[in-house]
Amino acid sequence: MNRDSGAFSNAGPDAAALRNCKASPVGGGIELRKTICAICNPLSHCGIDAYVRDGVVIKVEGSDNPHNGGTLCAKGAASRQYIYHKDRLRTPLLRTGEKGSGEFWPISWEEALDIAAQRLNSIKEESGAESVAFFAGYPKWMRPFLKRLAHSFGSPNYCTESSTCSTAAFLAAKLNYGCFGRPDLGNAKCLLVWSANPFYSNTSMVRRLLDARDRGLKIIEVGPLVTPLTRHADVHLRIRPGTSGALALGMANVIIEEELYDRDFVENWTLGFDDFKKYAGNFSLERTEAITGVPAHLTRQAARLYAKTRPAALQTSASPTVHHTNGVQNHRALTALIGLTGNFDVRGGNYVRPPAYLYVPGPPSTREHEYEQSRPWSEMAPRMGVERFPVWSRVIAEAQAMHLPFQIQTETPYPIRSVVGFGLNHRMWPGCDFMYESLKKLDFFLQVELFMTDTCKAADLILPACTSFERSELKFYPEKFVIWTTPVIEPLGDSRPDATIIFDLARRIAPEDALLTRGYEANVDWILEPTGLTVEKLKQHPGGLSLKDIPQVPFRKYEKSGFPTPSGKMEFASTVLREFGLDPLPAYKEPELGPVGRPELLKDFPLILTTGARLPMFVHSRTFRLPWTNGLRPEPMLDINPEDAANRDIAQGDTVRLSTPRNSIEVKANITQIVSRGVINIYHGYRDPEINTLFEPDYLDPISGFPGFKSLLCKVEKSI
Amino acid sequence: MQLAFAFDLARCSGCMACVVACLDEKDLPDAAHAFRHVIGFENPGTAPPTLSFFSLSCLHCADAPCVTVCPAGSLQKRDLDGIVTFNRDLCMGCRSCESACPFGAPRFPEKDTMAKCDFCLERIEARQQPACVRVCPTRALRFGPVDELTEETARKASLNILEVFG
Repeated sequence: MNRDSGAFSNAGPDAAALRNCKASPVGGGIELRKTICAICNPLSHCGIDAYVRDGVVIKVEGSDNPHNGGTLCAKGAASRQYIYHKDRLRTPLLRTGEKGSGEFWPISWEEALDIAAQRLNSIKEESGAESVAFFAGYPKWMRPFLKRLAHSFGSPNYCTESSTCSTAAFLAAKLNYGCFGRPDLGNAKCLLVWSANPFYSNTSMVRRLLDARDRGLKIIEVGPLVTPLTRHADVHLRIRPGTSGALALGMANVIIEEELYDRDFVENWTLGFDDFKKYAGNFSLERTEAITGVPAHLTRQAARLYAKTRPAALQTSASPTVHHTNGVQNHRALTALIGLTGNFDVRGGNYVRPPAYLYVPGPPSTREHEYEQSRPWSEMAPRMGVERFPVWSRVIAEAQAMHLPFQIQTETPYPIRSVVGFGLNHRMWPGCDFMYESLKKLDFFLQVELFMTDTCKAADLILPACTSFERSELKFYPEKFVIWTTPVIEPLGDSRPDATIIFDLARRIAPEDALLTRGYEANVDWILEPTGLTVEKLKQHPGGLSLKDIPQVPFRKYEKSGFPTPSGKMEFASTVLREFGLDPLPAYKEPELGPVGRPELLKDFPLILTTGARLPMFVHSRTFRLPWTNGLRPEPMLDINPEDAANRDIAQGDTVRLSTPRNSIEVKANITQIVSRGVINIYHGYRDPEINTLFEPDYLDPISGFPGFKSLLCKVEKSI
Repeated sequence: MQLAFAFDLARCSGCMACVVACLDEKDLPDAAHAFRHVIGFENPGTAPPTLSFFSLSCLHCADAPCVTVCPAGSLQKRDLDGIVTFNRDLCMGCRSCESACPFGAPRFPEKDTMAKCDFCLERIEARQQPACVRVCPTRALRFGPVDELTEETARKASLNILEVFG
């Protein structure tokens, strides 16, 4: 029986049938209510059908909407344990003990909001609004409101978890093209997947990827790890971590030498091709093999396959290619392949669709970014880190959060005395112990969180947030589908939606912003204005609204309006980088703490550590505490190749010591061929051991400020 | 009629959503007690190796050894659809079924009372897919009368073969 056939449908069963849908305890009164899962990234956020009885969620399953088609991943399927976890914060908490002691006293919301307002307003008066930094972690749904609050308060220092995720890739693409397009998977004939594992990071797309594969899609996979995609790939280029740029230049050289590039596009729509061609000429197949470890014949095969199979799309990921000290330039090199082969903004290539809302491509378009920037940069102090990361500050409308602990410590050029954090996790920072100590140095650290995390323990005041099941939010999907959710259950305890907290704070710390004082739904309506949608209208479609009448965005928009770059062209040589005295070409540099960058360290640290690749049951630190997901992988193991393990007398499950020049941790060994010889892989975000203590806090890409999480010299020894 | 699960090895990515959906549906306390398991393998002989994953639960065997060995009559094979059902009240915790089952399907979430996949009987009766099938993001898991599943598999294989010839 086909799962899409009528007999067993994805549609909700009738009420009588539902009575027996849960094994125990059997009882009536179950209601199916629609919401979304917001545990992972905005490109997923699958629709959820919550089975609710007596105000309690007793089961979840995926909504049968155009996005996730009834499916979920392991994380979303575990939603119940996420909502009802014992660590959920249920009331505002005021610190009573020493910072870090974890001693708090419950207080009322009124008291908590008044304390917050009094502290923030007095710090603003004493040291300027810029000495308060606002931070948005996961999920991203509160971002537009928080950014507006920060700027209306007067602080330029709004920063996010995207200071380590995705933004550097966007920055690189923006330097090249002024905009970026995601793969048009439905029409592509070839997909070049560069260090992405959609099976574990973007689960809602994989059924379509496999369907496309069944239709004959060619797949090229690049990346240091073997993934579930590898068996589907026509060719897998297994690079040494950190060498994407060299591989991309090697591929570009093949494409140029064999005249497989799009001559018309390159002549009419690009800047700096001759210099790029000359530079790529340095990356012969032999040299590329020496740098990347990829056999020359495979690089040539991949370059030919990608350039000759039209149309071809490039699938990148949020972080792996940019978590390197040369990340932006590496990512520029590999995204340059799109234009070189004429696959930019074409059907089946990388198709530019302006964002609708919260990183999801439209149409339609909203006024999200206009909304956020309630005060121009010129009317605020310079953002923190602007001198250290000038390119970031030019292109990205946020502060670079990696600089936060440094400015807290140095108080230069002005002090940061307070942080208002929404889901701030100090373990996201390289040298996370340094970040934790910096947070403890603050005069006032306000943390809004779901759970009592370790970061919360450094806070002066904690406000309890609630999950997507307990709030209303606006969600656009790339499949021209939109939903305004309504709470499927009441917030747990005294917890409140992040947006409610922001608007309550706004009335106290930014009262002159008239729009903010009008509350959440009025603000969403303002953002939605160009779409013709309103919250009221969306409320009439509790299961979501299809927007298929909206016209398709045209292809090759640059033919009409040029590229949104300084030159109006695709820039092989970046005008912005040149202006800041940086190499305008996507120049390859070795990872700073790598085998070529620091050969003198090789004797003591002969292996390369790469961290942060996804596992299917975790996303960052968000589902570690759930028995259902944690039980699928209870041990934080490092992956080591069988040969490396044998050379160190390490057996499966042995406790080993993993060391870098900065620190050393103990962890169990998992012997596997998903890593090649010489490479160690470990998942990030565990409470113990703390992987990010292995990195110096300033191990950053100088252009983007992104940490070099994916390439660092290390050693592994068997623990005694 | 015999209801069966179909599993497409080529599509499974080892995401384990099926395991968690089972835990949620059956209100099981933690992953160790799931009625469905995902086992990963690294395939030797390819360079680099590729990964395979296998999602396995009770297969509701045509000739089920657990039914044969159960001294208490707790395990029964339904005539209607071939589902191997169990009655907790009759189970005496002898674990004969555990020894007899070649697939590790019988579980013991409560110390001495057997439990296992019942094909989400309540959902089937409400015309819903089993929880593990519904959740599967790659659609590696399907279910249905075994004849129909076989037919569908044959059709898909034929299409793949035809593609080779062009």
